[in-house]
Amino acid sequence: MRALRADGFPEAEVRSRARTGAAAAFPPGADYGTTLFGGAATSGCPAADPLDLARLVPPVFMPRRLEKLIDLGREPLYHDVDLGTDVGGLRSPLPVYVSAFGSTMAASADVGESVSRQAGRLGLPMVIGENVVALGGYGRTDDAPERSMLRRLRAYAEALPDGLGGVAVQQSTEDADAEVWNLVYSDPSALPLLDSGRLAFELKVGQGAKPGIGGMTMVDRDSAVLLRGRYPLEAVHGTGELLRSSSPGTYTEEILRQQIRLMRNNFPRARVWVKLPPARDVAAAAAIAWQAGADAVTVDGAEGGTGWAPSAFLDHVGLPLGECLLRIGHRGDGLLASGRMWEGTRCVKALALGCRAVGLGRAALLAADEDRAAGLERFVRCLELELKLLTSALGRYTPADLTPEDVWFPRAFDGRSPVAHLDHDAAPRP
Amino acid sequence: MTTIQLASDATAAPPGLRTHLSAPRTRCAVAIQQAILQAARELLVGEGFTELLAPVIGPVTDPGARGSKQVDIDYYGHRYKLMTSAILYKQASLLSFGRIFYIAPNVRLEPLETANTDRHLTEFHQIDVEIADASRDEAMAVMQAVVTHAVRRVLDHTADHLDQLGRDRSALTELLDGPFERISHSAAVRRLHDLGHPQDPAAEIDWAGERLLSAGARRPFFITDYPKGSRGFYDRESTTEPGSLRNFDLIAAEGYGELSSGSEREFEYRRLVARMRETGENPAKYGWYLDLVRDGIPASSGFGIGVQRLTRYFAGLDAVWQASMFPKLPGVVSA
Repeated sequence: MRALRADGFPEAEVRSRARTGAAAAFPPGADYGTTLFGGAATSGCPAADPLDLARLVPPVFMPRRLEKLIDLGREPLYHDVDLGTDVGGLRSPLPVYVSAFGSTMAASADVGESVSRQAGRLGLPMVIGENVVALGGYGRTDDAPERSMLRRLRAYAEALPDGLGGVAVQQSTEDADAEVWNLVYSDPSALPLLDSGRLAFELKVGQGAKPGIGGMTMVDRDSAVLLRGRYPLEAVHGTGELLRSSSPGTYTEEILRQQIRLMRNNFPRARVWVKLPPARDVAAAAAIAWQAGADAVTVDGAEGGTGWAPSAFLDHVGLPLGECLLRIGHRGDGLLASGRMWEGTRCVKALALGCRAVGLGRAALLAADEDRAAGLERFVRCLELELKLLTSALGRYTPADLTPEDVWFPRAFDGRSPVAHLDHDAAPRP
Repeated sequence: MTTIQLASDATAAPPGLRTHLSAPRTRCAVAIQQAILQAARELLVGEGFTELLAPVIGPVTDPGARGSKQVDIDYYGHRYKLMTSAILYKQASLLSFGRIFYIAPNVRLEPLETANTDRHLTEFHQIDVEIADASRDEAMAVMQAVVTHAVRRVLDHTADHLDQLGRDRSALTELLDGPFERISHSAAVRRLHDLGHPQDPAAEIDWAGERLLSAGARRPFFITDYPKGSRGFYDRESTTEPGSLRNFDLIAAEGYGELSSGSEREFEYRRLVARMRETGENPAKYGWYLDLVRDGIPASSGFGIGVQRLTRYFAGLDAVWQASMFPKLPGVVSA
């Protein structure tokens, strides 16, 4: 019998914490490995993102369309849009790449390989996540087991057309122990990508779903034995599985600058990408990354993420992607963005606000899960059509021509207009 | 498995093992190498250095080798490494002796592109020196003394071998004409830009650039003050010129390229931890080293001279593998 009631108070949540302790800080343990997390995973509604509130606004007068008309000698149509894009030094047929997935079982099984194969066929650049080697092995001397980095690389590279795509291999602070970049850079399997300029290394400074903390996975007792001493392990769920946490690493301006310089120094033939979390100083960090020579800066909005994260972080920590893009501004540098990307309008808004390309995370996994053979390819064809329709509607014929004036924000958003030049009456942004 | 193709213009391609081991060229090279090692030991011991036996494995090793992979070994379930260099152990050894050296074996799985540089081996040896409370200038002086003492001995004791190899002895006697020139990294970059070589000013002198500078020199020379971001965390950052390292490389003449690297060392705990992060390292894995550093290790300077590279230079060999009995080239499976 319960002695107390607390109407209007989240009584059930409090009682859940009282029953299960630390496990209640996470989504239900039974969902691990089969559910993709990320913003709104537990609350059901995403935090307000300027991108969701914004609209794409075609003009009447279109000087670019006139240029295209002159070029073609006929009225241009949406299929005249050329979506080919340089994505951080890698050539892509669309302003789209496949993001790294979390290291949960959901991203580690055959879905990961299916995504790799389809992304390769499409010629889309693909990021291989930080934990693939740490948890699945490299696969060089252990017969390329299912989850290994090598298996992903092979599945991708075998299907890749000439002159397109490429792989960005992530490394975070704790992966430095496994020397993932050194391994790939000196491995014969990666040589064709390196020789054709299609290998990049991505420094993972942080991630969208858990800004400020490192990667997390649930591991069984057998795996835990192998990881003990290298990662902190905690039995939060009391189910026999352990929470493996890693550190995001400590950064100052100088640490970030020098790490990027060292990447360029040590891997002169690889492209250098830097992945930033949706942090309040994301603009300063991006500026330092570019200044130090990064070919691309990836920003993962707080809506992003596929992996395991504490519920508190999913909806209440980190800037929404739109705010990150507004803070960074339209700079013409190699800015990439990910976070809830799955349909054309969000992608085009992000491109108009300064991104060179957008990353598919959960969408790519779900599409491949729907049909291992061709789900991602069909999904991307649909996205391609939307991108062409929307871009041409704005009187643009390449993604690089999109500008912030193609996006309109409601005046009332957050008490200020995020795009000053569209709102001359608004108070200046702080 | 991918097979690595060595360049067809072929100094790069070793012959079969039997041919290599029984070649007069190999015997001459090893005889010259022996003279170098004898001279190094003679000079260093005479200067009060203690020769130590080099560690071969450890939980961590030198992470400062550009782009090369360390060799992992399973040490009772723990990941250990073969030494890429024993720099961390050299610093620690100064708690016992103030002046130490090793003739140390090192293994680095170099990037495959280095298979054709004529100057990379994955298994090689260094004359590895560390001096407590010494400045960079003192370390550079010791390095030059080792090199010039070695060249004297090679000229005095292995002249027949040099002649047999067709080595121009006058090129070596020039080494004895006073101190080696010094240029700063930024001056070297300017020189390369003047030569039309696109050297990144924030990075290590690349292999092609190093060959260009070396080819234009008649005597070995030092390059000093490399930028931070081009070397490992243990090269000390200047306190008066932040961003510049108190380090040096010795570059051979005649296109033979880099022979040796050295520096003043970081030895203070806070600075070392920050520098580890700047080089992308996880301080946690350097536990034993940082424990010692936290309680204090001596300030020092030191260097490592590549034995096979110095042998190649003195002997005038086309490629560094010719200075090794059992050469291991990047990516190539061999004895």
